Amino acid sequence: MNRKRALIADTFCLSKRRRCASDCVTGDSQADIRSSLQYLMTLFSRKLFNDSLPPVVLKHQLYSLHDDKTSVDKQVNELRENGELLMFQLGFDSEAFALVFAEDYRAKVLQGEAGRGTLATVEKFLAKLIPSCSDLSFNKEKMLKEFLFTDSEITQLVKSGVLTVRDAGSWWLSIPNSGKFIKYFIKGRKAVLGMVKKSKYGEILKTELEARRTTAQVKFQMKYHVHDIIGAELVECIQTTSGTLLRYVDGNNN
Amino acid sequence: MLSFLYARQSGVDDPVRLRRAESTRRVLSLELNHNRDVDRIHGNGINTLDIEVIDGRYMLSGGSDGVIVIYDLENNSKKPQYTCKAICTVGRSSRHVHKFSVETVQWYPHDTGMFVSSSFDKTMKVWDTETLKPAEEFQFDGNVYCHHMSPVARKHSLVAVGTKDPKVQLCDLKSGSRIHILQGHRGEILSVRWSPRYDHILATASTDSRVRIWDVRRASGSLFTLDQHNGDKSKASSEAVNTAHNGRVNGLCFTADGLHLLTTGTDDRMRLWNSATGENTLVNYGKVVNESRKGLKFTVSRGCSPEFVFVPCGSAVAVYGLHSGELITMLRGHYNNVDCCEFHPDYQELYSGGKDCNILAWVPVLRQPDIEDDETNSKRGGTQAAINPAFEDAWSSDED
Repeated sequence: MNRKRALIADTFCLSKRRRCASDCVTGDSQADIRSSLQYLMTLFSRKLFNDSLPPVVLKHQLYSLHDDKTSVDKQVNELRENGELLMFQLGFDSEAFALVFAEDYRAKVLQGEAGRGTLATVEKFLAKLIPSCSDLSFNKEKMLKEFLFTDSEITQLVKSGVLTVRDAGSWWLSIPNSGKFIKYFIKGRKAVLGMVKKSKYGEILKTELEARRTTAQVKFQMKYHVHDIIGAELVECIQTTSGTLLRYVDGNNN
Repeated sequence: MLSFLYARQSGVDDPVRLRRAESTRRVLSLELNHNRDVDRIHGNGINTLDIEVIDGRYMLSGGSDGVIVIYDLENNSKKPQYTCKAICTVGRSSRHVHKFSVETVQWYPHDTGMFVSSSFDKTMKVWDTETLKPAEEFQFDGNVYCHHMSPVARKHSLVAVGTKDPKVQLCDLKSGSRIHILQGHRGEILSVRWSPRYDHILATASTDSRVRIWDVRRASGSLFTLDQHNGDKSKASSEAVNTAHNGRVNGLCFTADGLHLLTTGTDDRMRLWNSATGENTLVNYGKVVNESRKGLKFTVSRGCSPEFVFVPCGSAVAVYGLHSGELITMLRGHYNNVDCCEFHPDYQELYSGGKDCNILAWVPVLRQPDIEDDETNSKRGGTQAAINPAFEDAWSSDED
């Protein structure tokens, strides 16, 4: 007797499709990604940074909410091209990208710059950046020729935190004051992964993990970290009759 | 299925459509079958498998002990229980056997009279199948990681060889010469592959994280290098510009029509490229665990409607949809790491070999006959297995 549910190709699924067309999720539209992003932004703890950072979400956290990674990537790129979303390379992992809504970013940066001498330069940079640019890094000719910045203005931008040094003559786009965020994030991720690893058999139900008390190492909300470790595939997600089980995957760099 | 048959019969559908739909259904139901076995000859891990293209009957395997075995895959006994017998082997007692592990074996693409094997003993041997003696032997300076002969070439019989040397060597079988060298890589060449569409296009993958596409008729360097960011220099850190992966690239596979190329790397990623332009199609397969220090041999299905990629991942074979990137299933059955897998296009079977010295045959599950008076079965479209009355559910209600 074959107890396993057989994988059925789409072409044979006609009758099944007709029956459950009502409760089947149709293909993701842009609105779905935006609403997932907004949900994840609510999990970000603003008070921790005294409201100086805009809510930051990592791109791979979206993979834990949606099945099809390729379509998530495509829609994120569409949002970036429309100028609604900004993507940043976070330094600690070449595959970890941070996403921030453009208006939030602009508001927070200007709020941080208020009263400083570099305000004008930063405003000029943001005005150039937000409508159309979807680059993660800039090199010298681009800054000088396309954006028409002078060397001293570039130094001011680096000082204000909007640009970070990548190489001699090129800079990453960055979030000001994000150093603390990255530090807490890495520590928290390690602590949560440690919790999964130390559980009996190295696995724990997702609901149980979310209900656990966070240690002093974990500054963010538990759900934020759980979406992160699932999306980055640091734990394996197994569907069981009691819900989703997270099993620690050996061979991680963490 | 019946609707497909009727549509083909009445001419509503193209004949290819029925074939593709049935092939896809078979690939999706791949499973270990206790009726099919492959003789266990190797005493050490199996590194490479190759099924000949003419009949699809004979399979070559090369192992870490230097032994090469030829199996007959066809079932001529009238019983369903069949063990693929080893017809002949180049065992350790043979005078010409490789001294160290055999890394790649390949049948001569046009007939089974000849096959080529390359090994860590720095040689590549061209064998005569009849006598099992090498007709030709090529010596190299470093370990030979892989070699490949073009499956469509009529005008040339070049074998591309990837060794520890950053130069890709082309050996000519007709003349025995090895003067043609392709320069451009800066690290060991872990995988080489000819395009199944053009007989002059070659792809090579190396430990310097780059994949290069060559036209062997040109005297100058490679045609282009595959860039994972598609030329967007802002995404990568400065050293990683123009690389195909963020680690060593150790697997290459063209799709059957030669239009796309798949690469795997030790950064745990698999990427799909347009082989004509070198553009990264950005299909996201997620984390494809890859810890292989030498080449990884994976394969793509042929003749199915959404094509599938079979990649060895640890001790299982992962099946991904080629263009959608979703993980369809993991085929578990090996006791240790899986090193190679090969797809048999005529029967939609998968053969995989690994460090546990076993070659496993994954066979599509046969369709069970419908029970006509059982209403729940006919509603579900006919792929429900017939239930033994002893296991039949006689107590739960049908309303669920």
